[in-house]
Amino acid sequence: MKIMVAVKQVAALDEDFKIRDDGLDVEEDFLLYDLNEWDDFSLEEAMKIKESSDSPVEVVVVSVGPDRVDESLRKCLAKGADRAIRVWDDAMEGSDSITVGRILAAVAKKEDAGMVFAGVQSSDDANASTGISTAAHLDWPHAAVVAGLTYSPGSAKAVLSRELEGGLQQNVEIACPSVLTIQLGINKPRYASLRGIKQAAAKPIESLALSDLGLTAADVGAGRALSRVRRMYVPAKGRAEMIEGTPAAQVAKLVEIIKEFRGA
Amino acid sequence: MDPRDITRILFEDFRPQTIYLFYAVGYAAIAVFLYGTYTQIRKYRRGKPDAAWGELWARFLDMAKTMFTHRTLKRRDPAAGRMHSVIFFGFVLLFIGTSTITLEYDILAPLLGVRFWYGDFYLLFSLVMDVAGVGLIVGLIYMMYRRKWLKLPKLNYARPDRKPGDPDYDRTFYRREDWAFLWTLILIGITGFVLEAVRLVWLADRPAVWDFRWWSPVGAVLAHIMQVAGLTAEGAGALRPALWWFHGILALTFIAFIPFTKVKHIFTAAASLMFRNPMAGRVLPRIPEEQESAGFKTITDFTWKQLLNLDACTKCGRCHEACPANAIGAPLSPRDVILSLREFANKTLNASELPSEAELDVHGKGPDQILQETLWSCRTCLACVEICPVAVEHVPIIVQMRRKLVEEGEMEPILQKTLQTIHKSGNSFGESKRKRAAWTKALPFQIKDARKEPVDIVWFVGDYASFDPRNQKVTQAFARLMNKAGVDFGLLFEAEMNAGNDVRRVGEEGLYEVLATSNINTLKACEFKSIVTTDPHSFNTIRNEYRHFDGDFEIQHYTTLVKKLIEDGRLKIKKKVNYRVTFHDPCHLGRYNKGYDAPRDILNLLGCELVEMARNRDNSFCCGAGGGRIWIPDTPGLEKPSQNRMREAGAIEGLQVFVVSCPKDLTMFEDALKTSGFEGKFVVRELIELINECVEDGDPEACAPAA
Repeated sequence: MKIMVAVKQVAALDEDFKIRDDGLDVEEDFLLYDLNEWDDFSLEEAMKIKESSDSPVEVVVVSVGPDRVDESLRKCLAKGADRAIRVWDDAMEGSDSITVGRILAAVAKKEDAGMVFAGVQSSDDANASTGISTAAHLDWPHAAVVAGLTYSPGSAKAVLSRELEGGLQQNVEIACPSVLTIQLGINKPRYASLRGIKQAAAKPIESLALSDLGLTAADVGAGRALSRVRRMYVPAKGRAEMIEGTPAAQVAKLVEIIKEFRGA
Repeated sequence: MDPRDITRILFEDFRPQTIYLFYAVGYAAIAVFLYGTYTQIRKYRRGKPDAAWGELWARFLDMAKTMFTHRTLKRRDPAAGRMHSVIFFGFVLLFIGTSTITLEYDILAPLLGVRFWYGDFYLLFSLVMDVAGVGLIVGLIYMMYRRKWLKLPKLNYARPDRKPGDPDYDRTFYRREDWAFLWTLILIGITGFVLEAVRLVWLADRPAVWDFRWWSPVGAVLAHIMQVAGLTAEGAGALRPALWWFHGILALTFIAFIPFTKVKHIFTAAASLMFRNPMAGRVLPRIPEEQESAGFKTITDFTWKQLLNLDACTKCGRCHEACPANAIGAPLSPRDVILSLREFANKTLNASELPSEAELDVHGKGPDQILQETLWSCRTCLACVEICPVAVEHVPIIVQMRRKLVEEGEMEPILQKTLQTIHKSGNSFGESKRKRAAWTKALPFQIKDARKEPVDIVWFVGDYASFDPRNQKVTQAFARLMNKAGVDFGLLFEAEMNAGNDVRRVGEEGLYEVLATSNINTLKACEFKSIVTTDPHSFNTIRNEYRHFDGDFEIQHYTTLVKKLIEDGRLKIKKKVNYRVTFHDPCHLGRYNKGYDAPRDILNLLGCELVEMARNRDNSFCCGAGGGRIWIPDTPGLEKPSQNRMREAGAIEGLQVFVVSCPKDLTMFEDALKTSGFEGKFVVRELIELINECVEDGDPEACAPAA
């Protein structure tokens, strides 16, 4: 039985970053890449299932992205994932989360995965939709924001709890195979020691191209994306002013400000 | 009188069967001793190879010197050291004496007919043996007194890592063993003298014996007392055999038991001293390339020397007393780590067959296993290694065991986070690399980029000095000092990474390798003569450890450099300050690298009145930040080591400034000053700030003490 864990290498902003000249993203130089925080938890959840299972379980981490993503996949291998797959083709540039879901679904089918785990969201784009779209492309059930999971490999259903707004929890029974997006705090992710990461460098990272997945350039990339970024910017800081004085003076000041805004 | 008659007739009046019986018992005792020795050596050989093998003659001489001067035993407990030396020399002389008799009676006389144990030699021999016997007994009586009446906390075997009621909580067995050891040895001594006196009474009519009785003065006095008490020659003769056997059997039993009891320290302590590593803890061992997993998991992961170290410990408690973790009630005593591992090794490695891998695991909660909390309590301050009289090297063992914990992710989540941060950003503050030299912006001059132009001195700043706002002021002050003195210096700017000293002492060896290699490559690409740093932690690893990663650099701590700048007149003292100060030796500058004098000399040059704390120089008390502990929150409810230190400083009358020379110390102690209630009484200052005050007359940044 295979559990596929979809992971993403996310970008974090360095101090004093600059926006790219085309205004669509941050200048590459100012980005620091690392594995998405949620993915530590979804990988850990898969590892826990693997380690407590009597029957063999294979944990396969999959990521869609360029060469640099290997570094993050290696970290997953260091934590004990059995295999790592990186999917990339220059045509995939500009894919949105729906398109990435299509790619991941193709990998899940090719790998004959029994379960797919993903993080609730990525810390950079924060769409919270890649896992869900993967489920849609697979036509599998899904559960989002999973904060607790009871699942034994190969069984027809999983019992999980979901975190809802307002401190509510929801216990859900879900038919398997399914796609679960895992919430922070569901477990205690293990530490990948640097020696472990170094040793993982010896493990191969499989790479898949479009053709391996039965997809064409027309299925992916900016052209197929249903949404696109128009502009990225740092909004001007809002201004706030405390109006002090007697009530009468406060009202007078307020009226003055309103008039100023109306352009009177 | 024929001098050949002046001797002692061995086995006088014994029947041959009795003599045979004695030899049988004697050989049996030696056989037991040899078997025990064999099993112990077999135990050590179950350890891994150790780099300490080699240069045996030099090592032997060094050990002999330490042993005969009793240098290490006299440190911080001169009375115990002196008394131990009396026991030691008494024992050695008595052993030589017995061996001399054996040499003549059992070897030279029967084989070659040579005899020498008579006449003047015999008389001198008697005198020496009596003196040695007195020394032995006096020393042992002192040790009994010390154990029974002095109630020294360091001789209390209760373990800080276990609770009352836990198995082997107070190591009762050790206490009994101590007393059995003392009583056996003292009884051997006393019966020896009684036997001597009884013989004198028995043979009082024989001039060759009686006329020379004062050559064994203790025996003679006792003999006279016995005679006065009414003991006749016949009576003495009748008493003799039982006494003789009692003394003999006790002595032989003692010999037989050596390898199985604490008595073995006469060999293991000597061997441990012989194989001491002067760089222990200062340079941690690399993980061999071919070794798959890091650190120590099982007792067989230890090296033979470390297994020997475990047996060398005599429970003297000096490390227990010096350990900052133990002082604040943390679940760690270096003594108990060693003793637990010793018991563990004896339980698992003494049999002819090794038990299964699982039973060899030293980590866990079993009676002789080591708790994770214990390992994480260590500050790697090296106080234990420094003071151990028998060269037990605790810290490398603790770090090796931590390496295993790190590999398995068994650590505080916040420490895990810090290590990840260091990996990602190259510093423990999680700041952008670009901000490493942000503190230079406030300076009125530019600092050279050592990566772009040659400089005399590369200044390796270190994390705390670079990013901590309070320390940045000190860092800027040091830059002004160097600038004023006209030193040609430069920085590595964003290429500088955490030096890795503490990362390595946490046990994250892989990350250490990444950091060290990166810094070494950066430094190698620069043109410079030497390195300076204000951070003793960086100083230690660059000085001692980088060379093992192909990075051999000359580095000095700023105290050495500034002292020279002042002495050479390049930095002029414009104003002296007459503060009453005390100085805290940073572990990594003091104990680690013996940099005790330069900071004190500078304080003297500045005109300060230095009042030492009781724990100074090699006995300096760690601020609690070492070994990565600065990244681990302290246990609530326990006093912090830094607060403990503040109390010590607070006891100095009229203290104005508590002087430190380490960025981490500044952070730790300024915090502790507030939390321990000494705020407003005295201030904590980096030595650089005092120097700056004296050099930059009227500087607005000058930090005048509050008092």
